[in-house]
Amino acid sequence: MENLLDINFLIESIPAIISRLPITIGIAVGSLILSLFIGVITALIKIYRVPVLRVISSIYVSFIRGTPLLVQIYLVFYGIPKIIYYLQIQYGWLQSADVNSIPPEVYALVAFSVNLGAYLSETIRSAIESVDRGQFEAAKSIGMTPAQMMLQIIFPQALAVAIPNLGNMFISTIKDTSLVFIIGVIDIMGQAKILGSRGLAFFEVYIGVSIVYWILCIVVERLLVLIEKRARRYERGIAS
Amino acid sequence: MIKLENIHKYYGSQHVLKGIGLTVNKGEVVSILGPSGSGKSTLLRCINFLEQPTRGIVEIGDKRVDAESASKADIVTLRNSTGMVFQQYNLFKNFTVLQNVMVGLTSVKRVHKVEAKKKSLEILERVGLTNRLSHYPAQLSGGQQQRVGIARALALNPEVLLFDEPTSSLDPELVDEVLTTIKKVASEGNTMLIVTHELNFAREISDRVIFMEDGVIIEEGTPEQIFNHPKAERTKQFLGKAIRTK
Repeated sequence: MENLLDINFLIESIPAIISRLPITIGIAVGSLILSLFIGVITALIKIYRVPVLRVISSIYVSFIRGTPLLVQIYLVFYGIPKIIYYLQIQYGWLQSADVNSIPPEVYALVAFSVNLGAYLSETIRSAIESVDRGQFEAAKSIGMTPAQMMLQIIFPQALAVAIPNLGNMFISTIKDTSLVFIIGVIDIMGQAKILGSRGLAFFEVYIGVSIVYWILCIVVERLLVLIEKRARRYERGIAS
Repeated sequence: MIKLENIHKYYGSQHVLKGIGLTVNKGEVVSILGPSGSGKSTLLRCINFLEQPTRGIVEIGDKRVDAESASKADIVTLRNSTGMVFQQYNLFKNFTVLQNVMVGLTSVKRVHKVEAKKKSLEILERVGLTNRLSHYPAQLSGGQQQRVGIARALALNPEVLLFDEPTSSLDPELVDEVLTTIKKVASEGNTMLIVTHELNFAREISDRVIFMEDGVIIEEGTPEQIFNHPKAERTKQFLGKAIRTK
């Protein structure tokens, strides 16, 4: 009798898929951290209307939003080695870099940081601008420097506003990391493909990998709720 | 001592301060009265450059700053020697009561945490809020928030305290607790400049009263002079109600 599913193969594939989870989480979390820097810097450039940089950052945001992530991953993967090689030959720069030894995970991290950074930029800008003007004035009135004002007063309040949006984008990014297999990174998706072609059981491994993604996203959502609660702890009303 | 010389402020073509000169001596309490739109809040905010004056000189203690050539460092120096109390309180929402008062000491004045806490507790004691130390602003009444605002301004030991309509957004029954706190602060010898609509309060607390309209000082004098024997017709008109009720 022909079975719809080889359940045993599915169950056996899951531990092997999970063994690559650190790669998926590493790229997602790593690019979240790097993209927060990119997002904050481009948001500040826009808020403070920095000449020249403002134009560059809006072209960057527009380009990333207007091109597929898949194309961006290819651009980074094929573009960066070429640029480094060109700089070495033409100007003698970066001589110590060995283009061939850069692992594909690095390209994946760069591509996802650049991609997510552009999406975070607008979210962060609107969150910063949503902070009450009086908070800025009070910080200035006690003599805080712009950096102290931003780090201690404005960013924490903007973060509380932005967390739901940041969280959604982060969850999208986790799922988008399934594309990294195309440049040779063996993440959970890559592992599933390998197992699938080895056992000729693609349906089983894709069910397996989708369960792993699903559980990962549920866990992240739960964490986000806790983080949001913590970030907004000061907003709750009158206590005893 | 604080001294303003020939302060002008334009918003585009609108001339909202037309050459204000003003001196407040050490320990003096000065109230600025006037109708809405007279420029009194703008004047106050020009002192610590929350509004950049278009022209003029601000002098606080031995620091003299010309608005047209003020550097960022000059502005920070002025802000370090002033404390401001806002109409909307503007407490740092993400900080507790104690942190709100401490932050100026630890971050701006680089005072050690232990000492900053000790000093902050002393000040909170004076405004009567030591039982609310770990509350966030959202958990306090308007009156309590404003008393924290006063404590925050006091913490930096400023040369002058600037009050920008400190009771205007309070529920009527909470006004008194804040006015009482301000009176107490005044009685401790602080130099204060107060923009207010509370005429009777101004009369009671001030060493000197200034009446402003349309970006100029119409009249100034002791509360007795201004309230009981105003010279300008406009002052009489504006204060009429307060004078009659006395």
